Amino acid sequence: MIVAAAMRRSDPVLRAALGLLLIVALWELSARALSGAYILAGPVEVARYLAQNSGLMVRALRETLWSAAQGFFWGNLAAVTLAVTAIVMPRSERVVSALALLVFCLPLVATGPILRVLYGPGDGPQITLAALAVYYTTYVPLLVGLRAAPATWFELVQSYGRGRAAELWHVRAMTALPYLFAGLQIAAPAAFLGAMVGEFTGAERGMGVLTIRAMRALDVPGAWALASLAAAISVAAYAAIGALARAVSVAPPPVILSPPGAPVGRRLGALAPLGLTILALVLWWGLLEGFGLNAFFAKRPGDVFEALMLAPDAAQTRATLLAALRETAIAVVPGYLAGLALGAALATLIVLVPVASTVAMPLAVALRSVPIVTSAPLGVLLLGRGEAGTITLVALMVFFPTFVACLHGLRQAPGQILDVFDSYAAGPVARLVHVRLPAMLPAFFAAARMAVPASVLAVTVVEWLATGQGIGSLMALSASLSDYDMLWASVAVVALLSAAGYGLVSRAEALVLSRYAAEQVRR
Amino acid sequence: MAPDASPPEIVCRGLSKCFGATEVVAPCELTFAAGQTTALVGPSGCGKSTLLRLVAGLEAPSAGSVTIGGAPPGDTLRRGQLSMAFQDPSLLPWRTVRGNVTLALKLARQRKDEARIARLIDLVGLDGFAGTRPGALSGGMRQRAAIARAMVTEPAVLLLDEPFGAVDELTRQQLAEDLPPLWEARETTTLLVTHSVSEAVMLSDRVLVFSPRPAAVVADIPVALERPRRASLSSSKPFLDLTGEVSEALARGMAAAAPRLAAQ
Repeated sequence: MIVAAAMRRSDPVLRAALGLLLIVALWELSARALSGAYILAGPVEVARYLAQNSGLMVRALRETLWSAAQGFFWGNLAAVTLAVTAIVMPRSERVVSALALLVFCLPLVATGPILRVLYGPGDGPQITLAALAVYYTTYVPLLVGLRAAPATWFELVQSYGRGRAAELWHVRAMTALPYLFAGLQIAAPAAFLGAMVGEFTGAERGMGVLTIRAMRALDVPGAWALASLAAAISVAAYAAIGALARAVSVAPPPVILSPPGAPVGRRLGALAPLGLTILALVLWWGLLEGFGLNAFFAKRPGDVFEALMLAPDAAQTRATLLAALRETAIAVVPGYLAGLALGAALATLIVLVPVASTVAMPLAVALRSVPIVTSAPLGVLLLGRGEAGTITLVALMVFFPTFVACLHGLRQAPGQILDVFDSYAAGPVARLVHVRLPAMLPAFFAAARMAVPASVLAVTVVEWLATGQGIGSLMALSASLSDYDMLWASVAVVALLSAAGYGLVSRAEALVLSRYAAEQVRR
Repeated sequence: MAPDASPPEIVCRGLSKCFGATEVVAPCELTFAAGQTTALVGPSGCGKSTLLRLVAGLEAPSAGSVTIGGAPPGDTLRRGQLSMAFQDPSLLPWRTVRGNVTLALKLARQRKDEARIARLIDLVGLDGFAGTRPGALSGGMRQRAAIARAMVTEPAVLLLDEPFGAVDELTRQQLAEDLPPLWEARETTTLLVTHSVSEAVMLSDRVLVFSPRPAAVVADIPVALERPRRASLSSSKPFLDLTGEVSEALARGMAAAAPRLAAQ
């Protein structure tokens, strides 16, 4: 009780630290309980490993951090450019957003090896993958932020005869700042993740290389030490950007909700996806041709179509691809749904117990920034190579962002309406059902949307590194066998399916929000 | 403002506005004389604000046209000679009071005139709050800051959309005394949308009374009270006669519209 009372008073940093301490203690205890099982290294052992290999660790960390930093820079620069383009030329927004999403849905597992062939040795793939991992999560909130101003602020600018450039400079730049920082905060750990995945694809140095080596050698303390280091760095980067935002006195924005672009059912209607697909294919072809890339590994849309439809072995190619997709679906769909359900349920429960929420919130915010995918090898160590391990990792990848978003959403419940309920002495359940849950829905859907590409990333990485099943493994295998037809076909199919899944969730979101949060649905 | 600029006449010809199937402003022919202050009075939601926005070029008319000094509103806007004060103060929260007032000069591409900025902030009673951000001000103070912002560019056309809505009664009276001399000195063509009958009479040279939506003029009442007008005027017989006339016209407009509204 005393601890609980102390927690209620203390600041979030202290509470997060307390929670972290609790986790470390539990971690050590379970490590001791499982000693001899050869799957879990406790914090003491991890600390010893880090101390003994400090030179190696610092060198690897420096390498990965540098790639991540460059990717962070280029990715966010791309995000800002795209968002400003979409705002200054509103007609372009739909196309910009759709293409940005499609590129974000490219499976890193396959783009990694392709980039490796393109760049050769060096840190090109790591930087590119880090940039690919961050630009979309900055683009989305930035687009919301650039619009987060009342209409009269723009009319004020217009009433002096000034145009979009003045709006952008005097109004939008400032309203977007909190959203930009929120995006950068998510981007920092994501860039680290992207750089590590890039290193998985065959770099010479870096954290990713050491992680792969530790996993192959069943070096349990090594794998745990690397994962802990990656987690610590990610949390630190996340916190540092948060501190920077506070230092320039930028208040955190309300939860970022509005889906970018795609207002429901406008002119083009059902034709829009078709047009965008054609545009994407043309861009795909044009980029490869423009850079004059060798047709042996840089397959054009025509090559993929031929491999899937016209070639003598097309039927077999399709069968292989479908079988792999089915295996992946068995892991990713339950994992995704479980992560969403758990995130929402736990957030709901925890709101009913305010003390628990004060501990859980900062902890969850910290854990959300852990690049779970980079600890995939640990999942394999812990849970084996079966479906259970894959599903758990996907669920974890989805759980944390959903949980944090839902907690934020539940807290958005308007105080005045809660007061009305209080005036009728309504119980906590009535408040939850009638006020808090509807208030949570926009945040829930925003998380569900972004979780689609995230869970695809998680499942493909785990399949590639560990289970040897599904589309992730097929892509890795195709890359190592130089079966570039299969590789490009997989990339195209996975990107399309991810984007379609994202679109499906957006549609469900629009339907539900038009009833519960009409102000969130853009017309 | 350019030194040669004299206040323009504003002319609306066959002007109307519909939002979808809803007619908000009925076709009207209106002329606002150069340098005059006209008050637009009518029940809430009748479309007077829309009329103001049409004049400011913020809405495109469904039919007809608006000209300011013989040219489309856009020309006046682009010369930075029009200012509008909105119902909502619309101050940028990251700028101080001074910063918000200065912004208008920037947007109008005018020289930053520190003395004029300070004088206006002083005039609206915000001296001592020039360095304060809007978040720390009361609703009435914010609205006064917005008025200072609208006036700092010394516009040829001033559009005020219920600018005193959130201002307390005492400040309201004070502003009603202090502000008109400013736009009279500059000879500004001013349109003032208001709910308050006495404010309309106190501030204007002419009161236009509107019917419920769609806005149509039911009375055009000249206000020939001499200036400067003091608060004491509001208990004089001519003033009370005028407010009575405006109130009656308002009631007439409501009564005439009642069957139509009931049918809806």
